[in-house]
Amino acid sequence: MNDYFRYAQAQLDPAKINEKTEALKGIRVLDFTHVIFGPTVTRILADYGAEVIKLEVPFYGDMWRISTYWGRYWKHSNPTFHFITRNKYFVSVDLKRPESKELIYKMAAEADVVAENFAPGTAEAWGVGYSRISQINPRVVYLSCSTYGQYGPMRYFPGWDLLAQAASGVLSLNGHPATEKFYKLPDYLGDFIPGNVGALAVLMALYYRNKSGKGQYIDLSQTESLMRALPHFTYHGLTGEPLERTGHSDPAMMAAAIYKTRDGRHLALACATLPHFAALCRAMARPDLPADPRFATYLEGLKEPNAGALRDIVARWVAATDAAAVLEAACREGFAAAEVLDDKQVCHDPWRRERGSVLLFNDDMYGEFALPGPSAMLSRTPGRTKWLARPLGYHNRLVLRKFLGLSEEELNALEEKKVIGTFDDKPGLKPPVYYHLDSDPIYNYGRKAAP
Amino acid sequence: MKLFGKKSKEVVYTRYSGTGSGLSAWRETIEKLMQPEGKPETLDDILVIDVSQGNFAGIIAASLFAEFGAEVIKIEPPQGDPARWMTPFGKTAAGVGIPFIVEGRNKRYMTLDLPNSARDRQIFGQLAQKAAVVIETCPAGQMDGWGIGYRQISVSNPGLVYITITPYGQYSHQAEACAGMPDTDITTQAGSGLSAQMGDMATAPEPFNWPLKAGMWMGWYLSGLSAALGGTVALYHRQRTGEGQMVDVAGMDAYAAITGMPVAVGYTWENARPRIGVLDFILYPYGHWKCKDGYVAIAAPRDHDFRALVKILGLWGWTGKFENDWRYTSDRIPDLLEQAMRLHRQIEAKTMRYTADELVSRALNYARKAARSKWRGGGVPIIMKVMTPEKALAHKQWKERNSFKEIEDPALGKVIVTAGFVKMSESPPRIKWISCDIGKDDEYVRSKYGLPRAHTAEAP
Repeated sequence: MNDYFRYAQAQLDPAKINEKTEALKGIRVLDFTHVIFGPTVTRILADYGAEVIKLEVPFYGDMWRISTYWGRYWKHSNPTFHFITRNKYFVSVDLKRPESKELIYKMAAEADVVAENFAPGTAEAWGVGYSRISQINPRVVYLSCSTYGQYGPMRYFPGWDLLAQAASGVLSLNGHPATEKFYKLPDYLGDFIPGNVGALAVLMALYYRNKSGKGQYIDLSQTESLMRALPHFTYHGLTGEPLERTGHSDPAMMAAAIYKTRDGRHLALACATLPHFAALCRAMARPDLPADPRFATYLEGLKEPNAGALRDIVARWVAATDAAAVLEAACREGFAAAEVLDDKQVCHDPWRRERGSVLLFNDDMYGEFALPGPSAMLSRTPGRTKWLARPLGYHNRLVLRKFLGLSEEELNALEEKKVIGTFDDKPGLKPPVYYHLDSDPIYNYGRKAAP
Repeated sequence: MKLFGKKSKEVVYTRYSGTGSGLSAWRETIEKLMQPEGKPETLDDILVIDVSQGNFAGIIAASLFAEFGAEVIKIEPPQGDPARWMTPFGKTAAGVGIPFIVEGRNKRYMTLDLPNSARDRQIFGQLAQKAAVVIETCPAGQMDGWGIGYRQISVSNPGLVYITITPYGQYSHQAEACAGMPDTDITTQAGSGLSAQMGDMATAPEPFNWPLKAGMWMGWYLSGLSAALGGTVALYHRQRTGEGQMVDVAGMDAYAAITGMPVAVGYTWENARPRIGVLDFILYPYGHWKCKDGYVAIAAPRDHDFRALVKILGLWGWTGKFENDWRYTSDRIPDLLEQAMRLHRQIEAKTMRYTADELVSRALNYARKAARSKWRGGGVPIIMKVMTPEKALAHKQWKERNSFKEIEDPALGKVIVTAGFVKMSESPPRIKWISCDIGKDDEYVRSKYGLPRAHTAEAP
């Protein structure tokens, strides 16, 4: 067994990630997205090596640049923006100006993927929708993200993560039964989940393109992505009853609930199988329970009032036991238990640092910052962090001069007409005040050094 | 106001969305473009073997591959995967749990007794030689110990993508120390930072102020999605180079790795956010309120949206100084909890006067006019009815988009399942069948992949 863990460590070693291949190297993404939903799609592609060019409005930028928790900025940047937009190229172009079209079409002709999450209809109205881009580049994989989808009677309804949660039924399900207490999924999960679904769909489309040579159009509705997680529709169809909110417990698994320990901490505990239940009974010193007819089969153990009775038994044991002792018993006997961890515990958990699922990244502009690693560790083509978010328009010169081959004169003309631009003096948009932007070789790409 | 205009006269609620016959024609084009019937499938060259046990993260990952057209063989012990009996309140149809039916989509079912039969382990090894993907949720190292892990299979199948899902992953001290711990949804929610952010404020009575479980298998859905996503990156690499690899998912990463918020806050604030009930840490107004006949969700987080909301609720002039008071520029409201709570009550006093439909109409009306007016600042205050899943199921939008599919199954009868969770024009995902009897495709799999017949099969 020890031998296996050494083998797995060697395969997946987080210290060696930067030496490994990038799966999506050479894939170019033209990224019109903003806020969280769309940017999460392209962030995931960027994590695996795609070259993502993020377009933002000059002087104003992505709305999420200034949306930070309790108005707290970190080094004049939004700390929640770094994870959502790491590894991207930040170009600031005003789509509303007709002069921008030439730039956009030039980039679109070279792009493998184009992504947008404007209100449905906007991309088409601005001439950057699939109907136009697919004429320029028939092999393009074009992703449109929206709350309700690009067709159907609600397509023009405006939306956010919250509205997708409300429309899908998800919002009504988190909370206490027979009360008015219910809560949305936190931290814009209604954006992050569809963002991951979008990345999956784009990868599938790229896979299909490699086989067939064909690009395609993807219509991703965040409400549908959330509905995919609900067995409630099928439950309702088969039983004729609604499946409503269930508070701290999981009605589909034995003994599954969040409990409070003797030392005042909260932990979750569950039995996925009857052997796990037997393990829990050993830990509770209740050898009589597995033979109890109420819990003789897994299905019996889920029916009320049996399930409630079992949770009461477990609750009494947990209330008389310290959290550490419950967790130790779970590891030893083999049932599932985990403490409810908060932001600080998650961020500073030594296991996550060792695994690389929370990493301390040293950035050229911002210095040390903590970020989540990839949600799945790949042994040969792992996801990685290369740089954090950058100020608005930071990569204008690099992208337009190096990638698009524009001359200094053309660049100046675009700047003068405000077709392209950079940041205003606002936190979230600008670099840290102590940062010497003048001597930054990327920001000043191709600029002649001052004498 | 009529919410649904005719196709040719759609109502537009946001400033830059264009109208005109061109766009209406485009809408119809998209609608036709997105019909899945008769189109090729993305993964029709991929064989996936799912040996996950009692773990819906593995099952969901396998389902996602199956929806995109892979041949997915689910291998379970002769008595069935324990996941078959994980179902709310013990409710089953034809003896099968409802979540298992939902995820039964497009799969082949075969039985092998891996823990107890060396012969079956050998058959698994034989089948895995032909697979592009293996998904397993055993304790870390168990498959390897049986001689059918990634290390052994990849010797002669170097293109194998081997997906593991466990609470703590396949490496690190914790993974080794807790290798025997099973992975479940609720522990994943708690241990990855989701539960801590849900629930009522600290001042609420127990147990309402406790951390809460999301009302669906959100931990498992996130892990399953992560596994499918990582697996698809690996398949893309395999397609180009022929190389396979390990894909390691840890359930305890699920929430923290997907949202990034706990890490960002834990690092920059060096503290943990308290639970704040229905409020939000970043945006306001951004939550749900009670109204005359139910609940509405309201999002008006940008300043012009907020001002628009205040107007349509008749709150303008409530303090007499909304326009000049810095505390009511919307990006500052969440900064002070007291202030957000006060405003929350003020808004509720107004929403209680109207029905959900009235509020939705008011918001849409405002947005529709603002979109065409240079005076209204483009404010888009959004109000949406809070739907239960049953109401969502009946909604016109999802009917038109075929978001649910009714399947007539010989054993289960008529079953409604979610379908087409993403629409694609060339190679869309789809649902072909949901039947999932134990061992139903045993013969099919054994003859197609040249495996020996089962011991239990009766001699002719």
